[in-house]
Amino acid sequence: MGEFTYVRPHSLQEAVRLLNEPGVLSRVLAGGTDLVNQFRKGEVLCDRVVDVAHIPELRTIQDGTPIRVGAAVTHAEIAESRLLLERAPILVRACRQIGSPQIRNIATIGGNVVNAAACADTLPVLVCLEAQAIVVRAGGVERVRVADLVTGVYETQLPPGGLIQAFEFEAPPPGSRMSFQRIGRRQAMAIARLSVAALGAVEAGNGNRVSLLRVVPGAAFARFQRATSVEDLLVGQQPSTERIVAAGQEMARLFLQESGGRWSAQYKEQAIAALTERALHEVLSP
Amino acid sequence: MTERRYVGRPAAAVDGLDKIMGKAKFVGDYQLPGMLHARVLRSPVPHARIVKLDVTPALAVPGVVAAITSEDFAGHSLWGWPIQDQYILAYQKVLYVGHGIAAVAAETHEAAQAGIEAIELELEELPAVFDPARALEPDAPQVPLESPTGQGNLCEKIIVRYGEPDPILECSEVLYEGTFHTGRQEHAYLEPEAALAIPHPDGSVTVHYNGQSPFINQIHLCQVLGLPAEKVRVIQPVVGGSFGGKDDLGYQCSGQVAGLALKAGRPVRLVLGREESMMASYKREPMAIRFRLGADAEGNLQAAKVEMLADSGCFSSQSTLAMLRASLHAAGAYRYRAVHVDTQAVYTNNGFSGAFRGFGNTDAAAAIEQAIDDLAHRLGRDPIDFRLQNCVRQGDRFMSGNVVDHEVKLAECLHWVRDRSDWDRKRADYPARDGDLRRGVGVACYMHGSSLGGEGADYANTTLNIEDDYAITLTSGLTDYGQGSRTVFTLVAAETLGVGPERIHMLRPDTDTALESGPTVASRSTMLGGNATRVAAEKLDRLLCYAAASVLDCTPDRVARHGEIYVNPKEDEASFEEVVDRARQMGLTLSTHGKWSMPHIEWHVEHGTGTPYYCYTFGAQVVEVEVDMRIGQARAVKVWAAHDGGTIVFPQGAYGQMYGGIAQGLGYGLLEEMTYHQGFPQALNFDEYLIPTSLDVPEIEATYIETDFPEGPYGAKNLAEPVLVATAPALANAVFHATGVRHHTLPLTLERVLLGHELRPSRGETACRRALGFDQTKVEVIWQT
Amino acid sequence: MKIEFTLNGEAIRVEAPASTTLLQLLREHFGLTGSKPGCEVGECGACSVILDGRVVNSCQLLAPQVDGREVTTIEGIHGPDGGPSDLQLAFLEFGAVQCGYCTPGMVVAAEAFLRRHPSPTRAEIREAISGNLCRCTGYQQIVDAVEATAARRRDQAEGRGE
Repeated sequence: MGEFTYVRPHSLQEAVRLLNEPGVLSRVLAGGTDLVNQFRKGEVLCDRVVDVAHIPELRTIQDGTPIRVGAAVTHAEIAESRLLLERAPILVRACRQIGSPQIRNIATIGGNVVNAAACADTLPVLVCLEAQAIVVRAGGVERVRVADLVTGVYETQLPPGGLIQAFEFEAPPPGSRMSFQRIGRRQAMAIARLSVAALGAVEAGNGNRVSLLRVVPGAAFARFQRATSVEDLLVGQQPSTERIVAAGQEMARLFLQESGGRWSAQYKEQAIAALTERALHEVLSP
Repeated sequence: MTERRYVGRPAAAVDGLDKIMGKAKFVGDYQLPGMLHARVLRSPVPHARIVKLDVTPALAVPGVVAAITSEDFAGHSLWGWPIQDQYILAYQKVLYVGHGIAAVAAETHEAAQAGIEAIELELEELPAVFDPARALEPDAPQVPLESPTGQGNLCEKIIVRYGEPDPILECSEVLYEGTFHTGRQEHAYLEPEAALAIPHPDGSVTVHYNGQSPFINQIHLCQVLGLPAEKVRVIQPVVGGSFGGKDDLGYQCSGQVAGLALKAGRPVRLVLGREESMMASYKREPMAIRFRLGADAEGNLQAAKVEMLADSGCFSSQSTLAMLRASLHAAGAYRYRAVHVDTQAVYTNNGFSGAFRGFGNTDAAAAIEQAIDDLAHRLGRDPIDFRLQNCVRQGDRFMSGNVVDHEVKLAECLHWVRDRSDWDRKRADYPARDGDLRRGVGVACYMHGSSLGGEGADYANTTLNIEDDYAITLTSGLTDYGQGSRTVFTLVAAETLGVGPERIHMLRPDTDTALESGPTVASRSTMLGGNATRVAAEKLDRLLCYAAASVLDCTPDRVARHGEIYVNPKEDEASFEEVVDRARQMGLTLSTHGKWSMPHIEWHVEHGTGTPYYCYTFGAQVVEVEVDMRIGQARAVKVWAAHDGGTIVFPQGAYGQMYGGIAQGLGYGLLEEMTYHQGFPQALNFDEYLIPTSLDVPEIEATYIETDFPEGPYGAKNLAEPVLVATAPALANAVFHATGVRHHTLPLTLERVLLGHELRPSRGETACRRALGFDQTKVEVIWQT
Repeated sequence: MKIEFTLNGEAIRVEAPASTTLLQLLREHFGLTGSKPGCEVGECGACSVILDGRVVNSCQLLAPQVDGREVTTIEGIHGPDGGPSDLQLAFLEFGAVQCGYCTPGMVVAAEAFLRRHPSPTRAEIREAISGNLCRCTGYQQIVDAVEATAARRRDQAEGRGE
């Protein structure tokens, strides 16, 4: 496992100071479900783990404009949050499917984002909600779009010595609907083989045309981004079945373009079209 | 028939209390003073010659107390049954990734690991073979040091010869040909292999190992340690599941800790980690099974020819016997006029294959039940009707040519699952539905030959002893590793003796106190061990009755029982304790032994004829699936299961075995496959090898249809394995009903259902090396390019 | 480093390296071998314990993470007389125990769940134990035992006028 020390700061400033102490290689520990496995495999070495799971600023779920979810909030807490169920149900739906009850009780949304696995479930949802991460580092605080924060598989732009305090996103507008479609190999304790998060709205007054649409695939591309060419096929249009099918095909085309050579492409190409169609029906169809 | 008090009534598992309180101790829970921890150096490559192996540097590592290789054993540690082709530690060659090469015992885990890493090992990679068909070619690299057949990698050839199918097939009005593939299944017991050896001052050794067959282990240990039987004692602790899977590797672990303990003069324990267990342990053999089936225009099966090819991996292990059973069940529970089966088990460098619940029938039934379903479909027949028309009944000749003359309730099982599943309506309705989610129902049925059959001498021994405190201790050579035999024996003894089950204590299986009874396999415990228990209990009961007659001043035939109390015709009473006391005063020895043997039958392996089993059990299952057509996801939504297993002795245990078997069958059919790429296992832990969770196993409606089987203890037959056998093919047949596509290969993963074939990443070398503790910079492993 | 926490109702103070997992601490330091290693990557639930009222995998926690918190292991789940609890008796009654290796984790997960969800459906029970692998039982009798215990506890609560 390697040898390291453990420290539990009780304030954000203390955490930042510890993470930036010169000569000491520190790692953030939130839930630990990824980190402990990485220690065990020898994939990570450090001098010290800094347990941020008790810092108040990282533990809140706050209503407001924007809504704020602390980075050390667990998936179980998100899944049980009435506020989030009402305001951002796809976040609840995604977090309910991560891991197992045991894992959901300790693993955190911040850990899920920072680990940045290709199959991370919170990421397509946070990008779909256009969430920003409040990043705290020695030099100060800044907000980074989650879509920009994750730069590749297991790669983020999080600066050394930095940590995420919380995620913020505007509550989706009233009348909009959300969808989170996911494929796992079995019915529980299964990583996402593929997922699609979507948010959309149709304006009744405007001939039932799509007024808002965000579609974000997960476990598909190296980065988590809105699939704008897919969205463009529907925004301002009536969401007919034909258009939705075409949108699914466009998602498949995008997927093939980026990862056609991968071993999994032949399956995912078809499945991603299906998930995209289902997500679009759920958010746009009457 | 008198009302039974214990057999067949609700009962709690007699060893359940400690387990639910967390007090039951498994080998990994033991703490002994002076105990050393062992680690095994395992091969990171699938096939290589051992050029250099020097363990002396390990001894220089602080904390390391002993280190051994094959040279520390008799005969280079060669062992194996029926074919001797395994070594406790590798000799001359390594044959698979994870093959044990040397072992170290140290004060701590860390020191043992450091000891492993200090060993000087030089391997020269050899060309390896991974495809069973290729392995049979004359110029293929030979895997075993010595070919048991003299034909390179051909491990074993098995035949069944009943009549002459060729002329019948040539004239058949309906001819079916199809090939099916089954996957390599990992046992995935929750507790990995573990063994503890304790050396004694007289040069003897006691080994605790968490496998199934302590006596078999003892035999192997005597051979490799060069010790007589009285110097080797094997005890079975509480075992965290086995399913056939903890024996051969368990024997290797036992030999390794015994060798280390005798050298170190201290207790040594080896506990495998999950990755190590998945890499090093054997699996259910993957098979390719080809059928030619002939039927007449009315749909009566006429003849069958079956060819089977099994990948035995690098050791024969129990594959040869499993393939015998597979061959004897290959054409299914149907009437034919002629059947030929030709089976080959082949050596490769893909790990190794061995016993797993069902023992060849799981694979065979998975194939034949899909083939029969396919044939029924082509004839436009309902799958259950087709089976009812052709399935065996009492007095029929089975596919191996033998007539079976006991009660057969296979048809009843089919009727039960048909009724309870609402089969007819669903068969008609479901194909008419459209949409992305389709439903289907599928059926499969089976026979399962009871106990060892032609595999070996088939008997069991039980002893009973009344202790000073009036408790009754029971020993059996057959063991309980979760399947409930301990409770079955207790209930049989209680019923026969007329005492409460709480008075009976089955001792931990111990080669010093129990009597050898063959391996605890083949679902034989209830029939063999139960009967042996009944015999021992009847003898004890007669002695007690004789003593009771003395207490109650009547003749023994006038002694009656009210619960445990003995009563005479005048209603005078004597307690159990009083009767025991009197028996002792009379000089009676309240210690009995019971032996029961399966009636003799003979299967002639060279001719492929004879009587392979004394009796059979039967069953049928219906699985309902829902398939998401767009993403290829099938899931079981309900299972109905009926098994004809004679009387049920321990109902909660029997239903538990049924549900658990079905869960394993669902895994075999839908989720589980241990694939190898270039000899490297592609899954090392439960995150990659997926077994069903509580959300993957649906509600199951099950029944045991009781038949009259007087030879069994209170009429019981067996059930532990056969209840697994129908699930995967029933599921595959349901997927066909739902989708119209038959895949011919298990498991039915997302990719297979959507695309019709698998997609595979090829990884594994790095993951395996890391899991084995090999770091590129730490261990000297040189291979030639 | 020093770690102070409540273990099965008792205030505990122990010295252990920070890299020790909670599972190792429980088994090796305290001899509480009820929690089992099955996979050590958080995929089987055999090591389950209750942490501040919620079920967690003890193999996935570093021991210092439980400092100042409450841990209950299988050894802390029993009836008032130290014998089996109602849930544990139900496991026996319904045949929910075979080899016993997953059983402590299963009991822990079920108990933690019932304390927070007194009226579950069978589907909810299945979800609650979906992080606990069992290879022997096929789960059905475990669900039966948990369902029956929930009903009995509700009946008793009603009987007490709650």
